[in-house]
Amino acid sequence: MRLTEPVLTKRIPGCVPGVNDGGTAARTTVSFEQYKATGGYASLAKALDMEPAKVIELVKEAVVRGRGGAGFPAGLKWSFLPQDDGAGHRYLCINCDEAEPGTFKDRLLCDFDPHLILEGIAIACHACKLDTAYFFIRGEYHHQAKVMEKAIQEAYAGGVFGKGGLLRRAGAISVDCFLHRSAGAYICGEETGLLEAIEGKRGWPRVKPPFPAVKGLFGRPTIINNVETLAAVVPIVEKGVAWWKGIGVESSLGGMPSYGTKLMGVSGHVNRPGVFEAPLGVKLSTLVNDYCGGMRKGKRFKGAIAGGVSMGVLGTDQFDAAMDFDIGRACNVLGLGTACPTIFDEDTDMVMVARNIARFFKNESCGQCTPCREGSGWIYKLLCRIEQGQATTADLDLLLELGMSMGLTPGTTICGLADGNNWAIRTIVGKFRGEFEKRVKPKFVPVHVSAH
Amino acid sequence: MSWKTKPSSTLQIPRRAEPYVCASVAERWEREIVAKYHVRKGALMPILHEIQHEHRCIPYQAMVEIARFLGISPAEVLDCATFYEEFSLEPRGRCTIGICQSIACEACDHKPLLDHCRRTLGIEPGETTADGSFTLLAMECLGSCDTAPVALFNETLHEKLDVPTVDRLIAQARQAPAGGHHH
Repeated sequence: MRLTEPVLTKRIPGCVPGVNDGGTAARTTVSFEQYKATGGYASLAKALDMEPAKVIELVKEAVVRGRGGAGFPAGLKWSFLPQDDGAGHRYLCINCDEAEPGTFKDRLLCDFDPHLILEGIAIACHACKLDTAYFFIRGEYHHQAKVMEKAIQEAYAGGVFGKGGLLRRAGAISVDCFLHRSAGAYICGEETGLLEAIEGKRGWPRVKPPFPAVKGLFGRPTIINNVETLAAVVPIVEKGVAWWKGIGVESSLGGMPSYGTKLMGVSGHVNRPGVFEAPLGVKLSTLVNDYCGGMRKGKRFKGAIAGGVSMGVLGTDQFDAAMDFDIGRACNVLGLGTACPTIFDEDTDMVMVARNIARFFKNESCGQCTPCREGSGWIYKLLCRIEQGQATTADLDLLLELGMSMGLTPGTTICGLADGNNWAIRTIVGKFRGEFEKRVKPKFVPVHVSAH
Repeated sequence: MSWKTKPSSTLQIPRRAEPYVCASVAERWEREIVAKYHVRKGALMPILHEIQHEHRCIPYQAMVEIARFLGISPAEVLDCATFYEEFSLEPRGRCTIGICQSIACEACDHKPLLDHCRRTLGIEPGETTADGSFTLLAMECLGSCDTAPVALFNETLHEKLDVPTVDRLIAQARQAPAGGHHH
């Protein structure tokens, strides 16, 4: 399964091996002029000819599932907005807080084709009647923030944003687009944590409802979309729903379909790691062998993070897993996540992997909910103990018990951060249990049997 | 990330005569930052970024002045400043080295890099050298997993690192002029 032409990466060489190899062409940041010269902002012009509600309908029909990790249909999210009451601002927040370990796909678009994102932003603002967009980018993306800031200025100068309407069309909504830099907090990728950060507060997730579509940034209706989701809207407006649905796969489990192309960032023990564009449903083994030139040093595949550490791991027997939104139920992981797998070879210590991930969640738990704040610390301690050979089988049981007691699923936390921690730990221990048992000392519980 | 204990009852705030938020700064912030947010407090993070960039920390006096500028309480500024990793109450070194320790980087052997920095600089992650030249941080995912292991030297990302390269980068940072804290 391979794309016949790159879609999101048509201006970025090297993302579809065999089709858009870019062997000689170096990647450079596409300027506003270059972007326009290669058909850029034509989709926006086309969208502006359509009624806003029709654009939402189009995105709904295409079943564009959110590319940020949750896979929630973007068109449905857009339709949750109340009618424009004319009483104040309505916001779009673009989530570029790409901090999930293993994930680096949005960075590619920021680095090289920032106007694709901005065009998607403008289309969303037209469709949903939003007047202000905040591009929320993680603090560590210093270079990308500069590239995006420059692109935003170009878009203002080119008549996309600013007073006078989108593309200076009479009657089109006027949109302001601002860059907001975060400052190193994974939790701000959670949509309401993100809103808090823009409001100048600590990024503590909010209790929902009210949902952001009703009461979001500064108490006003707000849509929060991932960078890639907005970028995907551009080719859909250009080429239509039928074309989009021709890429990707239907659900084999009776769920929602996985249409379209997806940026997949592969890292870890492969020969040519990087961000690739592939149709949803591509096999992990195809990604590794065909896109990435196989496993590094000819080693065997041992396991992989499905798509960001929160999703948990795919086991050795799940190398052929289809990378679509069914992967959660099909392969016993949390979900597709960001579709950025980290690949491990046969020499990888899975206890190390679990400990590393546990440390991440311990460091990034925002501290608002006690089960996550305390639990993530204890999970990390237990895993350090296991790794150093100082734990007992009782510790392993305690680890799994902790891994089920915190999060949205048991209903003990406000956001899903702890669920990611749970899934990572439970799937690693579950799929590589032997490695953990080898490291712990048995603990015998004496059982007294009475004589009568 | 958020449970730094603050010696609130005994803390003596160092003061300097020259304000951090002078009239010209306030005027520029008003125009360039506050104008972007429909609620004034929204300007807090960009302002903290600017202070951190310039002073390599967020001084308490600056927090009080920022609070006055934004019409919020100093506690709200402190709350935000202590939550985010990039803001620091203690001055960071002229060169902050942030070695990524997340999963792709650990799987691709980040440990020798971290150990080399420890040995060469004589400090542990989270510490700053006595002469104020280096701060060493072990950071979570820097979003460049395909080029692991990676590290940030101030605002510049260095990819596919090995020990000799880190050594060279440290040597370069040592030679950088004292005032130039950013590449």
